[in-house]
Amino acid sequence: MSDEAPNETEAPVTGQGRMDVAWGSDSGDEVDVAQTSAQTAHGGEIFEQKYTTWNGTLNPRWMRNWAILRHHLLGIFKKGHRPWSMPTRIFILIAFIGSLTDAAFTLLSSLIGSAEFHSLFGVSRDNLYGHVLGFFPRNVLFYPLVAALLVGSVISEDRQHGTSALYFSRPVSRFDYIGMKYLSVALIQALVILLTYMLYFMAEILAFGRGWAWMVDVFPMFLSGFIAGIILIITYTSIGLALSSVSQGKFFPGIGLIAIIFGSKTLASIVKNLFEREILYLLSPYDCVAHVGQAIIGTQQTYDQYPWTYSLVALVAMNSIALYILSSRVSSMEVTRE
Amino acid sequence: MSDKPTIWRALDRKAMAVAEFTLRQQRKRLSTWVVMGVGFIAMAVLTMFYIDSMMREYEAIDNDGDSRDFDMDGYPNGQENLYGTDILDPDSHPGLLNPPVAPDDPSKWINEDGFDIDSLSEGSYGYDDDGDCRTEEKTDSQQDTNNNNIPCDVQIYKEYYSNNFRINGDNEVDEDPDEDAYAKESIHRAFVLALGKFGFVFLIGIFVPLFMATGLIRDEMSSGTMHYMLSKPIARSEVFLYRILGFLGLAWPYMTGMVVLAALVTGFFGPSEGFFRFGDLGVWMAVLLASLLSLLVYAMLFCLLGVLWKHGIILALPFAAWELGMILTTLGAPEAAILRFSVIGWAMNIVDAGAALAWTDTSLLVALGLWAGGNTLGGSEPLTGSLALEIFASDSGLGMTPLVTIVVSVCVMLIQAATFWFIGGALFKSKEID
Amino acid sequence: MMPDPTQEGRGQTKEWKPDVDMPVVYFQGVSKSYGRIHAVSNITLGLSGGVTGILGMNGAGKSTLFKLLMGKLKPSAGEIRLFGTDPWKNPAPYAKVGFVPEHEKMHDWMTALDFVSTFARLHGMTRDQANTEAARVLDFVGLSDVANKQIGKFSKGMRQRAKIAHALVNDPELIILDEPLQGCDPLARTTVMNVIRELGKMGRTVLVSSHILNEIERITEQIIILHQGKLVALGNLHAIRERLDEIPHTIRIVGKDARSLAKDILEHPAVFGLSFPSETELLIQTYHFGSLHAELPGLIVNNGHEVTLIDNPDDDLESLLGHLTGGGA
Repeated sequence: MSDEAPNETEAPVTGQGRMDVAWGSDSGDEVDVAQTSAQTAHGGEIFEQKYTTWNGTLNPRWMRNWAILRHHLLGIFKKGHRPWSMPTRIFILIAFIGSLTDAAFTLLSSLIGSAEFHSLFGVSRDNLYGHVLGFFPRNVLFYPLVAALLVGSVISEDRQHGTSALYFSRPVSRFDYIGMKYLSVALIQALVILLTYMLYFMAEILAFGRGWAWMVDVFPMFLSGFIAGIILIITYTSIGLALSSVSQGKFFPGIGLIAIIFGSKTLASIVKNLFEREILYLLSPYDCVAHVGQAIIGTQQTYDQYPWTYSLVALVAMNSIALYILSSRVSSMEVTRE
Repeated sequence: MSDKPTIWRALDRKAMAVAEFTLRQQRKRLSTWVVMGVGFIAMAVLTMFYIDSMMREYEAIDNDGDSRDFDMDGYPNGQENLYGTDILDPDSHPGLLNPPVAPDDPSKWINEDGFDIDSLSEGSYGYDDDGDCRTEEKTDSQQDTNNNNIPCDVQIYKEYYSNNFRINGDNEVDEDPDEDAYAKESIHRAFVLALGKFGFVFLIGIFVPLFMATGLIRDEMSSGTMHYMLSKPIARSEVFLYRILGFLGLAWPYMTGMVVLAALVTGFFGPSEGFFRFGDLGVWMAVLLASLLSLLVYAMLFCLLGVLWKHGIILALPFAAWELGMILTTLGAPEAAILRFSVIGWAMNIVDAGAALAWTDTSLLVALGLWAGGNTLGGSEPLTGSLALEIFASDSGLGMTPLVTIVVSVCVMLIQAATFWFIGGALFKSKEID
Repeated sequence: MMPDPTQEGRGQTKEWKPDVDMPVVYFQGVSKSYGRIHAVSNITLGLSGGVTGILGMNGAGKSTLFKLLMGKLKPSAGEIRLFGTDPWKNPAPYAKVGFVPEHEKMHDWMTALDFVSTFARLHGMTRDQANTEAARVLDFVGLSDVANKQIGKFSKGMRQRAKIAHALVNDPELIILDEPLQGCDPLARTTVMNVIRELGKMGRTVLVSSHILNEIERITEQIIILHQGKLVALGNLHAIRERLDEIPHTIRIVGKDARSLAKDILEHPAVFGLSFPSETELLIQTYHFGSLHAELPGLIVNNGHEVTLIDNPDDDLESLLGHLTGGGA
């Protein structure tokens, strides 16, 4: 290797020289050989940085909160906002389409004109209940899983990456921060549960040309189903966010929510089948919501050992415990990367 | 043993090191103890309901009404019938016979004619203990209300359209079973099966690996700490396996402890002649085997899903829902072919086969409870506990003898675990770790 | 059924032996790209023995290079050999390698001794051997008095040293340190540097990456410069500089009487330009950095000047890279 060779600007660096050394000699470290290549890459640029002070005025509190909410909500639809993971977004889409099946069947039944088919899928007391609170498939495959995926990262990821500092270093109170997170998770669930519910109702009206009389008749039922849906969303969100605030793992809050919903339901039904006691239903979030929902919509009640007000009280208790855990965790949360 | 380091011994040391590391890592986590604690509390709550139902008295029903005393002469109707005195005439009772008979306590005539059937196969069974069918006052046709030409018997036959056994007894034969004993026995068995199947194999068997095994590799990969382990001379599929071993090092003793505890509690509180129900231990062994194996298979599977995808949980949760569907299927249709595509179907085979070995008469117990002695006065209600037992007991569905079923199912689950390990190891090997 | 440690689909039948004919580290035309981004492109390199510094700015591909070498990443093209074995396929050569990853995350719940000894056992040591070895390396990096403290309570420098201890526990022939000086305070920095120099003296092959030229300069003179995934220079640092002599260098001198100093210095043939940014500051432009830098102290002392600082603002990685790549920063 000649001494001139390394400076040939066009020659890429091959390392051959060092390799010769590596193979051929044991004193390679001392050899003063160097190779350089020019024009093969661009150097970094150093920027002149000028600091300019900010002259704006601070927007009111609601506007700041709206920014947080918007950031979370729009993340479901497009880039540049909170990055909900792709699988979560895909699953929400699947759940949304899956929840629209009864609307689709309603339209189909108007095309076929079969009364039996309509009684299976069209708007009725039982079907309105079923859209929000039916166990299979909606409350097995869709709603709890959507809730689990949403809460899985919403606070715990902030804790894990220390990104909550991004909020807390700005004029945003902890209460606003958590409130907006709560609202955004709830609204996304409402998209899947309540929007499809409304679309289902609309489908019936449009497909069968229902008039005012029908609407006046059915609207209270619709409204109570809507309220049941809100209760469902609030309950799942409270429990889920409480779990999310106590953990920092990615998997824990989601699995925890699913374990609470399915586990308590399984336990309650074991006890019911074995010992003919329904008391454990009061510990199961899904069953309590279903019980209250059945009562306010007015369908056949599955649970008859205790009045539905017990379930309502249980729901209030669950939500307040969850919200207490959530608020105490958030108010004592250290803004650090844990 | 020489001290010469061999490859096998080196492997051994690595396995121990990684497993021990995993074990300690899990032990230091609060969530591990929360999950295990919640699992324990859930099982304890179930057990509390069980203890309560074992401690309480189930109301005894006098199905044929012969504990009553229509003529108020102090002698129950059954006793008067036995001695041939008039049940409606206060001046006719066994006390007037020579030698006089002391009046029975009416409670003796509540559950006086229990089941005298010892196997569930077609044929004629039963014995009229209190003699109210064999009495000469009855005509031949009155003694043979089930029309099988055998007076005062209980006939077991198969429904012509299904394989279910039905029981059809002559009136007043075996009509007065001991409701309390029946309820306790069947609720006990149903509880053992329900706790074993739903509590241990399903709830703990799925959720503990879901919580603890999904992140075994993935958490380390995303936090970057996997670099320490992978910069050592150890193959990635080994790491996968030994991490699982470490997880099992915590989960298996936990599961074993819970099953042993449940076996002790049900053994002491369950209805038995001795102080302890040794006969149930076979079922508990099957439950233990099935739940340990399901921990193994699910841990492999969920760890695999975690390696496969950053969001492995999205695959794992629907799988858990699928397994819930499958365990419900095993209750109703244990022979369904779709169960072969699940993990829990095979685990249920083990439990059911174990139950078939330990309790040979479960299906008879169910059939008798549903028949409930013909329900002379008790209406058409099945006996308490029979419906629960009917729900939770099922055949093993493979159509083989119980022992063969257990062996086959264990092999299948081990193969499943090995397959998941191979796939998981291969996936892990092909993962780039940043 | 036992796992196959060679990851070649069959059980290991004999112990792995390094290929003595190959250099310890060998890259042949290696590229790694993520989609359209080329993290590392066409690197050819062979290294055996001595301390080598890998210099590059953030994102230059230093860590990618190490991860490729440690079999964490699969090269998109080219061939990598670690002791003559492909590290992506076979982890066996790691028996002779110690790797200090860049990640700050550690197993915070372990004590330093546990941390080192647990991973030592992955080299096939027994528990006792591992404990002895762990105590030895912790002593070497100066952590023996806190060996039983949890890593979570360590300072950054201590954590860095614990990581180095973990890498040294198997007495490796090749040690790879990814940004070992990052986040260390001056004291820890000196300790880590001493450790690295010590390893070099022991004849081990050491690869150290950094983005700060000064640090590398204090450890070794043999460097590799990466820029945007490409290898732009390798060899002796001074030799590289010599090649750059045609390019003007700047030397900054701070002293009381900068102006009188300037008169004396201007006489030196290598100087072609002077400027005075402030009253006490003097900037010298030269084409022959080496000779001027060597004579400068004599020049100053002989003329009795008071100088508080001599420093070459150009002589950091950016300007070096600028010259190397023709950007002229």
